[in-house]
Amino acid sequence: MNNYPASEKAFLGLNHAQVFVYVLMTVISILFLFITNAYLFRMNFQDWSPVPIPSLLWFNTVCLALASVGMAWSKSGAKAADHQKTKVGLAIAGVFVIVFVSGQTWAWQELNASGYFLSSNPANTFFYLITALHAFHVIGGLVAWFIVTLRVFKGDATMLQPESVGLLGAYWHYMLLVWGVLFAMLITT
Amino acid sequence: MDQNSATYEGQKMYDPKGWWDTYVFSQDHKVIALQYVCVALAIGLTGMFLSLLMRMQLGFPGLFESIDAGSYYQDVTMHGMIMVIYLLTALFLGGFGNYLIPLMLGCRDMAFPFVNMLSFWMYFLSVIILVASFFVESGPTGAGWTLYPPQSILEGTPGGDGAGIILMLASLAVFIIAFTMGGLNYITTVLQSRAKGMTLMRMPLIIWCIFLATFLGLLAFPALLVGAIMLIFDRVLETSFFMPEIFKGGEVLDYGGGSPVLFQHLFWFFGHPEVYIIALPAFGIISELISVHARKNIFGYNMMVWALIAIAGIAFIVWAHHMYVAGMNPYLGFFFATTTLIIAVPTAIKVYNWVLTLWNANIKMTVPMLYCLAFLVTFLNGGLTGLFLGNVAVDVPLSDTYFVVGHFHMVMAVSPVLALYGGLYHWYPSVTGRMLNDTLGKIHFWITFIGTYLIYFPMHYIGFLGVPRRYYSNEQYDFIPQSVADLNQFITVCALIVGAAQFILLYNFVVSLYKGAIAPKNPWGACTLEWQTLESPPGHGNWGEQLPVVYRWPYEYGLPGATSDFVPQNVPDEQIT
Amino acid sequence: MAFVIVTAIIVIGTVLWNFVSPWWFSPLASNWGFLDTTILISLVITGIAFVLISAFILYCVVKFPYREGNKSEYEPENPALELKLTIITTIGVIALLAPGLYAWKLYVELPVDALEVEGVGQQWVWSYRFPGEDGVYGNTSGRLFSSKNTFGLDPDDPYGQDDILIRGGEVHLPINNKVVFQLRSKDVLHDFYVPQFRAKMDLVPGQQSNLWFEPTVLGTYEVACAEYCGTGHYAMRGVVVVDTEEDFKTWLAGQPTFAETMNEGANGEQIVQTLGCVACHSIDGSDGIGPTWRDTYGTNRALASGETVVVDDDYIKTSIVNPMSQIAEGYAPVMPAYATLSEEELTAIGDYIKTLSE
Repeated sequence: MNNYPASEKAFLGLNHAQVFVYVLMTVISILFLFITNAYLFRMNFQDWSPVPIPSLLWFNTVCLALASVGMAWSKSGAKAADHQKTKVGLAIAGVFVIVFVSGQTWAWQELNASGYFLSSNPANTFFYLITALHAFHVIGGLVAWFIVTLRVFKGDATMLQPESVGLLGAYWHYMLLVWGVLFAMLITT
Repeated sequence: MDQNSATYEGQKMYDPKGWWDTYVFSQDHKVIALQYVCVALAIGLTGMFLSLLMRMQLGFPGLFESIDAGSYYQDVTMHGMIMVIYLLTALFLGGFGNYLIPLMLGCRDMAFPFVNMLSFWMYFLSVIILVASFFVESGPTGAGWTLYPPQSILEGTPGGDGAGIILMLASLAVFIIAFTMGGLNYITTVLQSRAKGMTLMRMPLIIWCIFLATFLGLLAFPALLVGAIMLIFDRVLETSFFMPEIFKGGEVLDYGGGSPVLFQHLFWFFGHPEVYIIALPAFGIISELISVHARKNIFGYNMMVWALIAIAGIAFIVWAHHMYVAGMNPYLGFFFATTTLIIAVPTAIKVYNWVLTLWNANIKMTVPMLYCLAFLVTFLNGGLTGLFLGNVAVDVPLSDTYFVVGHFHMVMAVSPVLALYGGLYHWYPSVTGRMLNDTLGKIHFWITFIGTYLIYFPMHYIGFLGVPRRYYSNEQYDFIPQSVADLNQFITVCALIVGAAQFILLYNFVVSLYKGAIAPKNPWGACTLEWQTLESPPGHGNWGEQLPVVYRWPYEYGLPGATSDFVPQNVPDEQIT
Repeated sequence: MAFVIVTAIIVIGTVLWNFVSPWWFSPLASNWGFLDTTILISLVITGIAFVLISAFILYCVVKFPYREGNKSEYEPENPALELKLTIITTIGVIALLAPGLYAWKLYVELPVDALEVEGVGQQWVWSYRFPGEDGVYGNTSGRLFSSKNTFGLDPDDPYGQDDILIRGGEVHLPINNKVVFQLRSKDVLHDFYVPQFRAKMDLVPGQQSNLWFEPTVLGTYEVACAEYCGTGHYAMRGVVVVDTEEDFKTWLAGQPTFAETMNEGANGEQIVQTLGCVACHSIDGSDGIGPTWRDTYGTNRALASGETVVVDDDYIKTSIVNPMSQIAEGYAPVMPAYATLSEEELTAIGDYIKTLSE
């Protein structure tokens, strides 16, 4: 075979963390793909009766979108080496995601209070399961956010790089995208 | 050289302090690999013990009063789950993957050593949860390793009254998290951390195999996770994802409307790639071993890689061949039979390339080579019977009979385990710096090879007869002759002998650790990088000051013009003598 | 060398075994002989591949042993050879697949002019339903199952009244008549499998699956459940009797219709058959998952708790309604509670068990 040392090049110019997070996103996508598949399969059975989607979910969706905007703001700050802007963006994103998660739990209580119990209909079960699974992954992102923010405020300069903030942002944009697809599915079926 | 505080190529090395950091909560891939191997072998021994209990009942019905029908089915279930997931998946990917990826690719460690450590401890936790289910009231679940609902969540199923099924599902969920952590690590390391000159098409085939098996796992395990979560919901919260109207114990239960077949789709969407998650690393080990010990370059490297990629791709569209008679839409059978038989073509190519590697070779009949050749025979046998079961109509009389038991044990128990043993004998010197005892190795080989063939080969024929699998006893059936009971006795005796022979391996492992001959640095004369380290066994950081540079593919055996019959990957052209 | 000899014996033995094996296909008793043919085709094609490849391996091992100083031939690729092998394999695979798909087409296309039978599975007993004189099945629902209405038939559906119900696990079929089985399950997965008929299909609760065959040989055949269904899986044995047309008609005429079964009083024998009790509790004295009922009434029973009780009406009733309270010594605590049986039904079961000790 060809006997010269080929040039060493990182895969598609990505760094370790990026590969890790992007593959992780692929895995999470598969997870949600299966749950939506199961949802679409199960809804054809005769005992399915759809859940009324609480209007609170629209508010929550806006919050999640604003969190994404906050992350984008933070990244542009990091690019311009504007640390103040980076920190403000991070803070905005964190606040809105916390509001999103609390909003989701509120929506569950609302549904439960109006008699749509988890086990009374498969549509209800799926609603709780899908939103919970998504919220679970958002909370995972929140943990990462917490670690990054803590280190930023401790003055760790590596965390103020566009790569670090950008990668965290990518995950949050991705969570917004997943939510968009799930929410669209929940309100249209 | 002060290893412990070194910073290499701008990457800070993990720096173990004291005994706990070095041997327990270690982030060194070699230690983690050993931890995986030890835990997997320990739980694997448990699985083997369970299989012997089953064999005792089948060979000598009623001899042991404690093996009643319920506990028999619990043994069947736990044996299957332990062997497939907790032994083979963990050992191949967690053990071999962890040890070989950084060494063979010429890097210092995994891309994320800390995540790697977490992966092992999550795996350990999942094993603990699994073992815990033996000690809860009414024991582990006895729903069959496929965990088909409604059976798996109903009370009255063996082990179904207690927490057995919950612990099983929880353990699987933890295992999946562990696997995902490990898997992301392997993918990142393979894509990012290869030594200079190590292009993708210069990676040893075993790395390709582990890489693709990891991808399969990452994409397939979420299906099982979704299924497991929904099962837990159905069991604990009495939802009806999979539960239709059920009449049991004289009353209609509080379920309704669900579909048991939905679970089967989710399970086998995971379950079939899982077969390849186990098979691909075994393929990889064989590819390495056959080339090294036959002193010949592997035949058709490019074709091998593309065949692997084809297998990994098609593996995702064959799952329903486990469900031909499961009550799904029967017209799906046409599609899945076709895809299943298509996957036979790249698999056959791999077999051809292994045997063609032997042509005009210089074959050393070492212990690893014996395992390798035995693998070829058993894999050929098991693979060919797969063509019966994949071929929809042929599957009808044979499915759920002993033919199936014979087939899948031959192809995904005996074959991978032979590859596994070959791999252990081959890499033991690299891990410990000592050689295993050859005579003991050969005794162990012969008993294992002949014994397992005698155990599983006759099963195909009682499958022709129509003896169903998962029967606690056959006594009530007139169509099953007495000769089947005699055969069962024979198989049980063989199984006991083979089971006992595995302790030869363990004995060899332990004794050779202290008394084995000191291994030369590259005892088999292999080209791959794990044998070219500065020290043997490789120290922390693997490569000393300088990372290796790769100049050639990993199978440079018998290169014309060279004096030696092999040229390691890190030797440039000008240094070939 | 030892390896070559042993492996050669294994390979030759594997091939020869097909001619001397004491275990082979059960004698065929249905139209599905073609499935046997597909197995034989597969055996021949895969057998050839197995022998050729194994022989090649052994030849290489004999021909190219290690010699110090020898070097192997350096040949990384041979695209022409690889292409040839791929083509040969593909042809072999097509030769296997074509008859398989053809047989599957026959298998899944249900004949229209066939006799219809519904097969119902439950732990661990088989029962069957014929559509009766009107040729139409009555509606069923999983919600309507009870110990009396064991098929879950809608009592108000006029089509259901004349449905003929076969309880107790033995069904008769007329010879040389196509039969379509519509299969459903009351609890978990089961699989209707008669080895001599070759055909096989799972019974899935909450849905229907289909199976057809044509019995071609008179006789009595065993139904073996082929999908794991719990503790009594191996004991879920049924019987299919293939009769002449006349014998079948006579037999069928003697079976009760749905309307008749709803009007009959509590009959202990009928109840224990339909609830599947006999899968675990034999009536012939043999030991099973649970104690036998033969000659048991009035005897002393040792309990797992160490106590001893007399088997009387009270003990029998308690054991049905709350089995865990009085587990017999030497038996696993696996029996489900049948708490919804009426007092009348419990008494009928007790009376029936009493008759087995006379």
